[in-house]
Amino acid sequence: MKLNRNAVLKAGLLLVVAVIILKLFCIQIVEHEEWVEKAAAQHTLQNVLLAKRGEIYMMDGDEPVAVVMNATVYTVIVDPMLASEEELPEKLTEVLGEQRIAEWEDVFADKSRRYYVIAKNVERKVAEKVAEADLAGVWLQSDTKRVYPEGTLASTVLGFVNADGVGQYGVEGAMNEELTGVNGLLRTVKDVNNVALSIGGDNIKVPAEDGENIVLTIDRNLQYKVEKILEQQAEELGFKNISALVMDPRTGKVLAMANLPGYDPADFGNVMSAEDYINHVVEDPYEPASVCKTFTFAAGLEYGVMTPEKTFFNENVTYVDGWPIKNSTQKAELVGQISMQTALNWSMNTGSTQVLRWLGGSESEILQQGRERLYDYYYNHFGLGVPTGIELIESPGVVYGPNAEIYGIDSTYANMTFGQNMQVTMIQVASAFSAVVNGGEYFAPTIVAGKVVNGEFVENEQAEAVRRAVSQETSATMREMLYNTRTSFRNNGVDAEGYYVGGKTGTAQMIKDGAYSFDETVATYVGFGGTAGELPEYVIMVRVWEDGKIAGGEAQALPVFNVLKACVQDYLKIKPAGV
Amino acid sequence: MRPQAYTTRRGATMGNWSRNQNTVRHTNKALGSISNFMIIMLLVLIVGLIYVSQGAQATNYDYEISAIEDEIAELEAKKEDLAVERARLTSIAASESSTVASSMEDANVEGYAE
Repeated sequence: MKLNRNAVLKAGLLLVVAVIILKLFCIQIVEHEEWVEKAAAQHTLQNVLLAKRGEIYMMDGDEPVAVVMNATVYTVIVDPMLASEEELPEKLTEVLGEQRIAEWEDVFADKSRRYYVIAKNVERKVAEKVAEADLAGVWLQSDTKRVYPEGTLASTVLGFVNADGVGQYGVEGAMNEELTGVNGLLRTVKDVNNVALSIGGDNIKVPAEDGENIVLTIDRNLQYKVEKILEQQAEELGFKNISALVMDPRTGKVLAMANLPGYDPADFGNVMSAEDYINHVVEDPYEPASVCKTFTFAAGLEYGVMTPEKTFFNENVTYVDGWPIKNSTQKAELVGQISMQTALNWSMNTGSTQVLRWLGGSESEILQQGRERLYDYYYNHFGLGVPTGIELIESPGVVYGPNAEIYGIDSTYANMTFGQNMQVTMIQVASAFSAVVNGGEYFAPTIVAGKVVNGEFVENEQAEAVRRAVSQETSATMREMLYNTRTSFRNNGVDAEGYYVGGKTGTAQMIKDGAYSFDETVATYVGFGGTAGELPEYVIMVRVWEDGKIAGGEAQALPVFNVLKACVQDYLKIKPAGV
Repeated sequence: MRPQAYTTRRGATMGNWSRNQNTVRHTNKALGSISNFMIIMLLVLIVGLIYVSQGAQATNYDYEISAIEDEIAELEAKKEDLAVERARLTSIAASESSTVASSMEDANVEGYAE
């Protein structure tokens, strides 16, 4: 059969057209999604709009001042393939100075490595000099970092931000979500220069929501003074660890919170131990010891089983479950009928144990009713062993229930009356103590005063009292008892006339290898103060300790309190009565 | 002057109809197919040019916006740096160790401050 050339040509053309149509069908119908994605990848710009991390402020009188901020820093990167081995060291060595982290020989040792970081966290001034040098193969990458204008001030309260941008410890850790904000998204058509174009119907711009600028109730000046005093006292007393808390008992606002030793949050990796990060005021439950007699006696007053004048027979030792409970002061003249005020003055463990017996309706036995009543006040009224809700990372601690299935529940409760066999935090104790002395109302402690929005300070509304912890009468009686305890015999002359200052010491043995150690104790003092005749204006709590050392509430914590008290009194401009 | 595209037959038919005197007759005067095609192509071209010019103008604006946004970001970064510098200079430690503070004498007043 003779083929017609025209027919062959037509058939050939038809075939080619058919193949093209088939290919187009495949591209446009079958592989549609894949090709759309490929095309989009080439002309779509998709950027995450990074939310700016919120700043942290402290109060300076009535004005908030930034203590944690953000700064733009730069990473200097070199491409050894493009950079000049002669020119680069000559021009950048001096500019970068000590910030250079790479040796020039190493940078140029392997030129196939096209990305070499030679300096990190370079500040703008230096980065501008690098840019001005206009060197081939050198570029800058911007980033932000946290900066701390006040240095180490309140480091354990503030916390830090790790390399992944996540807050750790302190306010940074506890309020990470509020501080972080929400990243935005930009997706647009772009041109060859990577410039976002407004053409196209699928452009998306979701603006970033910057993190909140948080204002703390902490007063910068007071915090600084408190930290200086702690440093000085640590040196004088010869103790490594001191924690202190200053709060307003009328509102629950924390005015200062300090821990020694601290650390530099700008150089957070350079610490001797991870324990340096811990805020012992809120994260480290411990046995506060005899300061808890305040709460035991308040419960006794509430149930009407004791008055400051009521007496019991003190032998300087009493037995519970066959275990002896001794007084720390074994004075012969204190044996006999002793008033509860005297028991508090001398911090008698036998006295607080007797209150527990009375709470149960007995003179000589610890009964379930006594345990239940004490627990109700400790746990439900005073919030001991319960997270306070402060805007920090908190440990709850442990307060055993009245029917806890533990060995020697009665002796446990007898110990609890003077703050042992229980674990609570300083913030729990100080908040409960505030409730006892402020007229009886429990305020949840807070460290957040408000926010800075568009440069304006927006203050939080004053929170209401959470509950009534004790009656006004009990509160007044306890203030008087604590005042007497402070002034009766140990501290005459410390407090100036016209001021009303009360407080209680505590010395607890530390648990070492599962048993109470006789070689290591922790000292506590919690006290209140203000103008005589008025409700207290501040509560200060101090804790002193060090591994392997014996610290006493009276010998170590009380002197620190006294210095802090004078400072707080002056700073808050508290007038003596009659002025 | 071009002849009218319609003629009235008013005079001619007046005798026949007493009503309906406004009747007109249209004369078909359509453009040729090439002219139509050219006009359509011209219109398409004009619309295309308008579209391209608008697109180019939008892109120009995008470049301007991009440049302004870069400038804003740069200024904000500078502002932040200045705020940090200010905070450092006014920090308590800096104030305490300043030459002014170091030349001051300690207060020696007992009692409370007012």
